[in-house]
Amino acid sequence: MSKIAREGKENRCLEHQNSNCLGCGICVEICPTTALKLGPVLPIARGILQGDLVALDSNKCCLCGLCASACPFDALKFTIDGENSRNMDKYPKWNHQSGIDEETCIYCGKCSTACPRDAIFMNRTLPDRKELVSGETEVDQDKCIFCGMCEESCPTDAIKIEKINPDSSNPFIGTSTKIDESKCIYCGICRRICPEDAIKIVCTTCMYSDKIPDPQISGHIVMDEEKCINCSWCQEICPVDAAHITKPFSGEIFFEEEFECKGDSCHACKDVCSCNAISMVDNHSYINPQFCVLCGACSRACPQKGISIKRKDLNLTNVRSKAWNARFSSLKS
Amino acid sequence: MPVKIDQDKCGGISSCPGEGLCIKLCEKGALENDNNHIVLIEENCDDCDLCIQNCPNQAIIKD
Repeated sequence: MSKIAREGKENRCLEHQNSNCLGCGICVEICPTTALKLGPVLPIARGILQGDLVALDSNKCCLCGLCASACPFDALKFTIDGENSRNMDKYPKWNHQSGIDEETCIYCGKCSTACPRDAIFMNRTLPDRKELVSGETEVDQDKCIFCGMCEESCPTDAIKIEKINPDSSNPFIGTSTKIDESKCIYCGICRRICPEDAIKIVCTTCMYSDKIPDPQISGHIVMDEEKCINCSWCQEICPVDAAHITKPFSGEIFFEEEFECKGDSCHACKDVCSCNAISMVDNHSYINPQFCVLCGACSRACPQKGISIKRKDLNLTNVRSKAWNARFSSLKS
Repeated sequence: MPVKIDQDKCGGISSCPGEGLCIKLCEKGALENDNNHIVLIEENCDDCDLCIQNCPNQAIIKD
């Protein structure tokens, strides 16, 4: 973490936090005094070098706070007399949000696994198996596509998918999906998570007795909004639409027409992408725009200059100064 | 066309801020440490330009 502070009539302070930084360079682009410099983003992402993703130059910085206002990922914190500029009326406000609705959540834990920034914390209490005497389960093998969602999410490891060839690159080739009733607690996560509605599950003991309540999972799920970068993995993977994300930018990401991707020799774009939005397919970079936040880190990292982003709109309001408005507009293209 | 190394700008691995960063970044094994000097193994170079982009001394170039 690097920090610049100035004491005077007001005590102004700018801090950069590596842990929240994506190395995207938005702050570097927007700084009016070229006081910020991007560090070696790719070597840091690959773990070859240690260090700050952004370096602050205290000789150049005028402590205006524009960079901190422009960072959509809370990596720069600007304070005046200890108060964060993000909470002050005169500074711009980012309106992108993230959250998980606890009422809807079934505590399957998929979002927490998918989150590339470890921003989701979940704990859950499973129903007590002793109370449940028996139940019935059925998997419709004709409907089942062997996607493995149920197997992955089962809290008691009761589900097993038989694969024809477990090492095959196509994971969707299976022969049967079985639920081990001696392990099953009839929580119903698998039923709710199944994209093909192939699973039926019922606790017969609860069905015929008023005294035994339906098995239920209770828990807590918390989204750390400061860590969240709004990539929307949680929203896309949630089987019950409990996660909601709005992104900081709208726009598009695309490959330049004459781009010759060097694929597996390079893969710089994939390594610097904090959103896990890029993968290498057939020796070529493949971008999944759903998960992209249009930060531009990949575009900077690509030695061939093959990736471009066009930001149409910023989800930002309350920009009061004309000069600042012009600087923010420069982020659009 | 493979890259070229400007040995004057490079100054050797011992004085490189990235301690031979180009060698560590190149996954094709096209750059090697030969007694503190960077040498290029042309046939391994895949023209990805990753070394050019990331060299802290701007010592790797293309004509």
